[in-house]
Amino acid sequence: MLKKTFLVGVLVLGIAGVSLAQTGVKKKRPLPFEYGRVILNSYSEEARLSPVVFDHWLHRAKFTCRVCHVDLTFAMKTGTTTIKASDNMKGYYCGTCHNGKMIFQGVKIFESCSKKFLPEDVKRCDRCHSLGKNVKREYDFAKFSERFPKERFGNGIDWEKSEAAGFINPVDFLEGVSIPRKPLSTQKDFALSPKLESMPEIIFSHKKHTVWNGCELCHPEIFMGVKKGATKYSMVEIFEGRYCGVCHSTVAFPLLDCQRCHTKPVQQ
Amino acid sequence: MPYKTRSAIGKIFLLCWFLTAILVAPKESFYCGSAYSQEDWRKEFDEICSKTENAMEFSVEELRSLVNRCDALKSRVEKLDEPQRKITLRRLQMCRDLYAFAFEMKEKK
Repeated sequence: MLKKTFLVGVLVLGIAGVSLAQTGVKKKRPLPFEYGRVILNSYSEEARLSPVVFDHWLHRAKFTCRVCHVDLTFAMKTGTTTIKASDNMKGYYCGTCHNGKMIFQGVKIFESCSKKFLPEDVKRCDRCHSLGKNVKREYDFAKFSERFPKERFGNGIDWEKSEAAGFINPVDFLEGVSIPRKPLSTQKDFALSPKLESMPEIIFSHKKHTVWNGCELCHPEIFMGVKKGATKYSMVEIFEGRYCGVCHSTVAFPLLDCQRCHTKPVQQ
Repeated sequence: MPYKTRSAIGKIFLLCWFLTAILVAPKESFYCGSAYSQEDWRKEFDEICSKTENAMEFSVEELRSLVNRCDALKSRVEKLDEPQRKITLRRLQMCRDLYAFAFEMKEKK
């Protein structure tokens, strides 16, 4: 009996070992409200605070990518901006808007960090420093997005259509922070050929990308080459978070949504 | 010293202190609490970086001039206090990199 149990145990462990060795541990796909979530912990735990939980969906509905990632210089890679509470207090990074003074869409934006705080202010700290805490969010994702056009993956929202339909109107300019820029001259869409013959061609729209990003967010840091065909992109690299994967594996619609990029039908 | 005289001296002292505080206070503190200053370097920074959207339309000479202006401004920005220094340097670097990138592309052609 003991020998039989031992054999069954070895068999179960063996199968589990082989399957894990081949596929690794399956990564949990984030739920719609979790997609684009970033945990910021450069100094939080050092200061005996919970790390900051930042949800992209709320901020991207109100501001373009460029406002935060170019004008406020939030880095594209988590944890590389190294924001200090004192920076926020001086009115930089989160503190640019979260200063307790700025009024946006009729709502006063709460102060992010402050030198002095009363015991009741702990709730305010918890609004950002909330990892591992059961904090009730002021904005409920389901309610916030219920009218938005839907998509299958990511946040489950078609952000592009949401803007076109007027559900969102991301601000591209912060007075006193952003630089007034001339409108971008529209560049034509172009096709990129996939390596696999059976895959539809990728139609890249500069217009769709620059409306929220500007030029300097992508060039040259993410995309070194502009000459068509000069840089060879592989899906492996993109899935590893390079090139398109910088945004399309984290915040923008995910790479699982193949048809959003591979749109041009294969010519027979 | 009589109480009234002491009180008057105190008031004058307070008034002087208040006027000094107004004169000495940094200009940017009057801009709705915005930390982003309106100093000279900022004008040059705005002038340079406002052109990024049209980087590919500039000639090689124009792009070279913009890159040089970025480099010249960098030394001034490096003298700023943190975190303004870090943030502005990053923004300036993004502009410079874009112009340098457009410059290289045009030169290769």
